Amino acid sequence: MRVTPYAVPCAAALAALAPAGALAVDYMTAEQAQKRMFPEATAFELRDLPLDAALAQQLAAAGVKPQAQRLPVRLARQGGAALGYVVVDEVIGKFERITYAVGVNADGSVRQVEVLSYRESHGHEIRLPAWRKQFVGKTAASPLQVGDDIANISGATLSCTHVTDGVRRVVVWLDLLRRAGKLA
Amino acid sequence: MNWLRRAQPWLGTLVEVGVPEGACADAAFAALRRVQACMSRFDPHSDVGRFAALPVGGCMEVAQDTAQVLHAARALQQASGGLFDITQGRAPQGWHCEGRLLTKRDAAAALDLGGIAKGYAVDCAVQALQAQGCTAGWVNAGGDLRAFGSVQVPILLRDEEAGELRPFAQLEDGAFATSRFGAATRSRIPGVQAHASVAAPQCLWADALTKVVAASGDTRHPLLAGYDARAWLH
Repeated sequence: MRVTPYAVPCAAALAALAPAGALAVDYMTAEQAQKRMFPEATAFELRDLPLDAALAQQLAAAGVKPQAQRLPVRLARQGGAALGYVVVDEVIGKFERITYAVGVNADGSVRQVEVLSYRESHGHEIRLPAWRKQFVGKTAASPLQVGDDIANISGATLSCTHVTDGVRRVVVWLDLLRRAGKLA
Repeated sequence: MNWLRRAQPWLGTLVEVGVPEGACADAAFAALRRVQACMSRFDPHSDVGRFAALPVGGCMEVAQDTAQVLHAARALQQASGGLFDITQGRAPQGWHCEGRLLTKRDAAAALDLGGIAKGYAVDCAVQALQAQGCTAGWVNAGGDLRAFGSVQVPILLRDEEAGELRPFAQLEDGAFATSRFGAATRSRIPGVQAHASVAAPQCLWADALTKVVAASGDTRHPLLAGYDARAWLH
């Protein structure tokens, strides 16, 4: 084991570091995620399904609060048969913004969840559009403001409640769409 | 070296796995799934969930993974004079594990492996990667992380109040864990408010020893040397 603490910076260097930076990691694209989740699929059909009044009511009854007025669903197909669905969603936590993809089987069960990108910054900055803008156009090759591009964060455990809630929202929503015959 | 990084939600947190480009990270996620299935306190079918439903005097067989974590927890409980306690004070002697047989000795005994199982899961994920020939990489379960092979992973510490990130250290071939203790956090030790970090060869011990360091307030706690560990309070 080798752990090498960085030297404690002098006051001037500390000032130069502050405020400490943000971290951004791009793990994979939505296309890579859908291919990984449904490798046997021969085609993916993107369907943008609007939230109508009836659906909104059913979601509310299931205790799900929709975060958008539509759900873009990627149907994984093999020939004519639907293998399942992939939905890309985004959640915002205390310090982080996470884009993830959830793959759902044709029977409604979760097949896989993959994080597509992770953005972390100061809690008070995360909800500001300006904070979001600083990452636009950043690629996996140059995402980081501090440390190295493989830097890892340690701290109290980051809760993934937002992602778990998001996955549940997507699963319920898809289930209702499927029952309404909109995913055939 | 170019790295393939993936992240999935497991163990109530986000877990990132880094492997050399061309290698496959699936084995690591499979190991995490296995550990979560045994030790999640939110799953009534897990060993921890089944133990919660067990009557006093009852006995049950647990998975090999669970048994290993329970034996480590007991060893650390004894060595730390009770500072480390997976019942969090409810009934420190209320459980007993012999081999894979777990007995409930006190109705108040409920297990929370949150302070040790994540580290164990990280070790299992690393072993799974190594077993399939992966020579270098890392696994980070929301702050409990381990790097192996020839990679130096820069560690950023997160300030939980401000959300600020601060470069802290470089880690090579070892584990690093941070826990935060305070009134409003899940890890609670009366009167203790601190971030405690521990570096150790294995992540199970790095994870578990953060509790001992926070509870004792001692970054030179005599236990650390036995696990080849170093500690920081910040």
